[in-house]
Amino acid sequence: MFQRHITKRPKMAPVLVLWLAMCLGATWAVDRGNFKTCDQSAFCKRQRALKPGDSPYRALLETMELTNTRLTLQLINDNNKVRLLLELYRLQGNITRVKINELKPLKPRYEVPDVLIRDPPTEPLSVLSQDESGVVLSLGVESQRVIVSVRPFRLDIMEGHDVLMSLNSRGLLAFEHLRMRKDTGAQYTLVVFDFQATKEEEEKAEEGMWEETFKSHSDSKPNGPSSISLDFSLPGVEHVYGIPEHADDLKLKTTDNGDPYRLFNLDVFQYELYNPMALYGAVPVMLAHNAQRTTGIFWLNAAETWVDISSNTAGKTVFGKMLDYVQGSSEIPQTDVRWISESGIIDVFIMLGPTPKHVFSQYASLTGTQSFPPLASLGYHQCRWNYNDQEDVRSVDAGFDEYDIPYDFIWLDIEHTDGKRYFTWDPHKFATPKEMLQGLMDKKRKMVAIVDPHIKIDSNYKIHNEIRSRGFYVKNKDGGDYEGWCWPGNAGYPDFTRADMRAWWASMFAYDQYEGSMENLYTWNDMNEPSVFNGPEVTMHKDAVHGDWENRDVHNLYGLYVQMATADGLVQRSGGVERPFVLTRAFFAGSQRYGAVWTGDNAAEWDHLKISIPMCLSLGLVGISFCGADVGGFFKSPTPELLVRWYQTGAYQPFFRAHAHLDTPRREPWLFGPENTALIREAVRQRYTFLPYWYQQFYHAYRTGEPVMRPLWVEYTQDPATFAVDDEFLIGQNLLVHPVTEEGARGVTAYLPGKEEVWFDIHTFQKHNGAQNLYIPVTMSSIPVFQRGGSIIPRKMRVRRSSSCMEHDPYTLYAALNARGVAEGELYIDDGHTFNYEKKEFIHRRLSFSNNVLSSVNLVPDSHFTTNSWIERIVLIGSSKPAKVTLKTADGNESQLEFDFDASMSVVTVRKPGMNAGADWTVTLQ
Amino acid sequence: NKMLSSEMCIHILVIVLFCCGSADSRKVRGISSSYKRFYREKKSFLCIDGSKLIPFEQVNDDYCDCADGSDEPGTSACPHGRFYCTNLGFRPHYIPSSRVNDGICDCCDASDEYNSHARCQNTCWNLGQRERAYVEGQMRTLDEGLRLKQQLIEEGVLLWREKQAQLRELQQVAEDLQIKLEEHRRKKREADRFKEQTLRALKGGDGGKSFHLKRILICLFCNPYSISLDEVKAEVVPVHDEERHLGDDEAMVRLKFLTINIRKVCWVLIWLQCSTKSRRMFCFLSDLQKKLAIDYGTDWEFLFLNGQCYKLKVYEYMYTLCPFNHITQKSTAGTEVTLTCGTETALRSVKEPSKCQYIMDFQTPVACQPVLKQRGVHSEL
Repeated sequence: MFQRHITKRPKMAPVLVLWLAMCLGATWAVDRGNFKTCDQSAFCKRQRALKPGDSPYRALLETMELTNTRLTLQLINDNNKVRLLLELYRLQGNITRVKINELKPLKPRYEVPDVLIRDPPTEPLSVLSQDESGVVLSLGVESQRVIVSVRPFRLDIMEGHDVLMSLNSRGLLAFEHLRMRKDTGAQYTLVVFDFQATKEEEEKAEEGMWEETFKSHSDSKPNGPSSISLDFSLPGVEHVYGIPEHADDLKLKTTDNGDPYRLFNLDVFQYELYNPMALYGAVPVMLAHNAQRTTGIFWLNAAETWVDISSNTAGKTVFGKMLDYVQGSSEIPQTDVRWISESGIIDVFIMLGPTPKHVFSQYASLTGTQSFPPLASLGYHQCRWNYNDQEDVRSVDAGFDEYDIPYDFIWLDIEHTDGKRYFTWDPHKFATPKEMLQGLMDKKRKMVAIVDPHIKIDSNYKIHNEIRSRGFYVKNKDGGDYEGWCWPGNAGYPDFTRADMRAWWASMFAYDQYEGSMENLYTWNDMNEPSVFNGPEVTMHKDAVHGDWENRDVHNLYGLYVQMATADGLVQRSGGVERPFVLTRAFFAGSQRYGAVWTGDNAAEWDHLKISIPMCLSLGLVGISFCGADVGGFFKSPTPELLVRWYQTGAYQPFFRAHAHLDTPRREPWLFGPENTALIREAVRQRYTFLPYWYQQFYHAYRTGEPVMRPLWVEYTQDPATFAVDDEFLIGQNLLVHPVTEEGARGVTAYLPGKEEVWFDIHTFQKHNGAQNLYIPVTMSSIPVFQRGGSIIPRKMRVRRSSSCMEHDPYTLYAALNARGVAEGELYIDDGHTFNYEKKEFIHRRLSFSNNVLSSVNLVPDSHFTTNSWIERIVLIGSSKPAKVTLKTADGNESQLEFDFDASMSVVTVRKPGMNAGADWTVTLQ
Repeated sequence: NKMLSSEMCIHILVIVLFCCGSADSRKVRGISSSYKRFYREKKSFLCIDGSKLIPFEQVNDDYCDCADGSDEPGTSACPHGRFYCTNLGFRPHYIPSSRVNDGICDCCDASDEYNSHARCQNTCWNLGQRERAYVEGQMRTLDEGLRLKQQLIEEGVLLWREKQAQLRELQQVAEDLQIKLEEHRRKKREADRFKEQTLRALKGGDGGKSFHLKRILICLFCNPYSISLDEVKAEVVPVHDEERHLGDDEAMVRLKFLTINIRKVCWVLIWLQCSTKSRRMFCFLSDLQKKLAIDYGTDWEFLFLNGQCYKLKVYEYMYTLCPFNHITQKSTAGTEVTLTCGTETALRSVKEPSKCQYIMDFQTPVACQPVLKQRGVHSEL
């Protein structure tokens, strides 16, 4: 139809735009004043004032009790005579657990539940030797010992003559015992402990101990001071990683000249990069690595936590280090770490490696592995705040078909609800949600709708009424329902720490409860730090009460519980058959069991694109593999170049979702001209060709706890050149990705690791040697990705509208040969969406090429699954030209296969071997 | 008889052979008739881009041999291939190869899902019916729209002429007014001068007098046409001098003197009035000129929209579009108005894809174009 376009711009527009620009300019970047520094957090200030020195703690050997699985020992603080109880466990898989609590606390102190997947199985401990200065305990294997020193108390974990880790070696063990408030007159209970308390001790007990004010918010602190602290020394270690979530480099920095890294789940508006401020999630796990060993520290505490890092080599230049080396080294490098938490107990798991993969499996044995996601969730996700109505959803969906770009999920943000009442739909804009969902289902696509944990206080809202009548809301310090402001205005916050509340919440996802929902509707939990617009630091008051505990104790767990309950709901609605998909913004240790996380409200800036790599790498190291950043950046509007580069990067990161703020102009992939559309299409298509590999990597992560997206040092543990690399990464072992993250880039320099390795450009098959910095010229279409020689990667080259449309498609096997002419890989296939893989309904095969024979063998003989997929092509990269290629199937039949040979890149392409992907076969090159 | 029948047999055979010959290339799935010549059954097949020669068995064998995808028009094997839906009874079209056997019915003749779990119905006839009905409806709309448009054009032309005439008239009036104004301006200057003189003359006497005369003058300014001798007396007498009464003669002299001056002074007022009038006049004129300077289309068919407003309620918001004027509903940073052909003039839809960015669909007969009619006739139905 002929159309005529007229664009009208009222005179007001320029003024308005200018005003907006000024507004945005002024508000851009985090308002640091909204968030506490260590100095503004009373316990952190108190603790940090304590300097390294002799510890006042002494071990009371006469109290030592050793059972088969546990050693207990009392510690006494010689300053105030308060006694602590130390528990030491040897856990299966080379983990030592150290617990320290008050021997007789005034009331119980919080111990984090629901994070460990079980009571960790123990192994026997035995005393090797003992005298008045200490005890030596055997850790069973490899001459590993724990030395308990009496005065001052410290623990040293040794292997042979090497100290792997020391606890309290700097004397920073500090335990603020619970006490009665002095001005209440109820001092009698303290008599025993404070009998010998010095005058100084009492004088210190002042500001911020019983009440604390930040901005206009007051924290009533009914339990008084309760913080804990412990230091760890890591001899021989210069590189520590982990403790997400921070917008910072992969390698953690020393914190001597600034604030410690903070772990406290917060909704930080427009977060800044490269600093230790707290963000949406917290995983109190740190990895330490050197060329010989990798270890880990898991500090199981859900309260506000600060982590100080210092290092004796931090200030040294490369020259200084060289000098040390030449002069026979004055001192061994050492990293010292100190953990400080506001409440709870010291419960720390020391994971002794020795390799990164051991640490991953040790940590997985405690908190579980990444949940195995539905295959479709590894495809591309299209999100925006907001798709306005059903017609909008329909037309965006149609746009993907028109421009031939695959996608699996379209997302609805908060505006889809009826007045921010979750589990409902706007009666006008989304009047017939099932019709909309059916339309997506007809295209084999899916939807995610947001369900946040703040509940509008409205007596006409079923969810609110039920929660209120069941008494499921978090309480304020005075015992009433806690209320705060969030999207719907005044809102209540369900107490997700309660199992009965979570069960009820899960039941709300049943198809008959959540009206308008269907099996292709999944869930997004945002704002679950929890975000409270008018709360201190935009979160809940610490004296709010969850059951028997204060928010102070449980704070960092809230987000985990929300996602846990939601994922349960999605599992239950299908009768336990279907895998859930739930995205969360807040998280804690163990969140990997419930779905995906994203890095929150980033911005359309090049630095935010860059930081997405270390942020997701850090999460992967602590078990959370399913990580992504908003493609394009949430705040602000990306240039087409940035948007394209972000798609190219996101296509090679685990969770691949574009998202945009309400105030930004539209940015669906086809809105930036045909060239950019083509570039984005190509990036998304590359993602889809690699889906079989991604899926297999996630299966592997689910089985082992190894990260899907991993830093180079995890695979090249002895190559120091890899230790701080965070502008490139590996997917599994076999793909190395160095995305272009610089504006106007003409080239990138990628480090290709491994002296023995060869790497092949996945686009050109050009071969490069390992252990070199390779300069790669780039154009706008370049995504530098390399396949490791020695690997076989199955791909599906028929990219369709969605991953489900590709289910029965044939595979192409890309076998990249290493210097010895060998390659190995795996192929994993199942139905892609149910839990039947737990019943071994899958195909899992080992593909290996050696001696010019490529074979497929069953890795799990008692597995059972059938597929229509077949092998349509074998690409042997780095192979010499064969005379003939023969296929031999399980029934003994042999047939000749056609092939092509590309002499310039030494690539043999075997044409249509045709065997079923689940069958045994060999292909021989002669 | 026998001879005849065998001859007929041969004929039939020939026909059959011929049929089969053409049937061979028709078996190649996913191509349009114009591409059949590339797929004649031969020993080998040359990729359409000429890049490769492959055995003919490899055409549509579910493996991509040609970089241009031409060997697999009927399967999903080639990444950039395309599949031709014949869609008998509806519109034929190409779909990307990736939509062949993906479990989703794309061709209305179901030809794309020949080997999938999807149970596709042939819906081409229904779609064709619907399409034909739609197109007929569109045609009717177009006919009616074009008729209305013609009307509007005619009205537009008339209106245009009327306005042009009005413009000319106004311009004439304006010119006259300009001249008059000049004249008035001149007289005003004169009057000013007289006023000054009068004032100075009056000032020549004692100060008290001049003060009172000034008051008279001011009074006269207010009401220059209703002054009488008595009033002058009344005004002047009590203030002039307590002891002396003005004689009639003296009063008359003064009145004469005053009225002469008053008449001159009066021009000031007239000028003021005139200039306001003319200002209004010029405003109107320039407004009309501005209006007439807008592009109302070649036939002034959009002229009637000027001064009209159209409203539409979308969810809770009321949108108003006043063509050539302004759009309201919140602050409008950018609004794109799409014009579509219809028999009525109305705002049909408003979308807000991004915040404060609007797309409006405005329907009006004047958007109807005869081009559409031709295209409709040529559509492949």
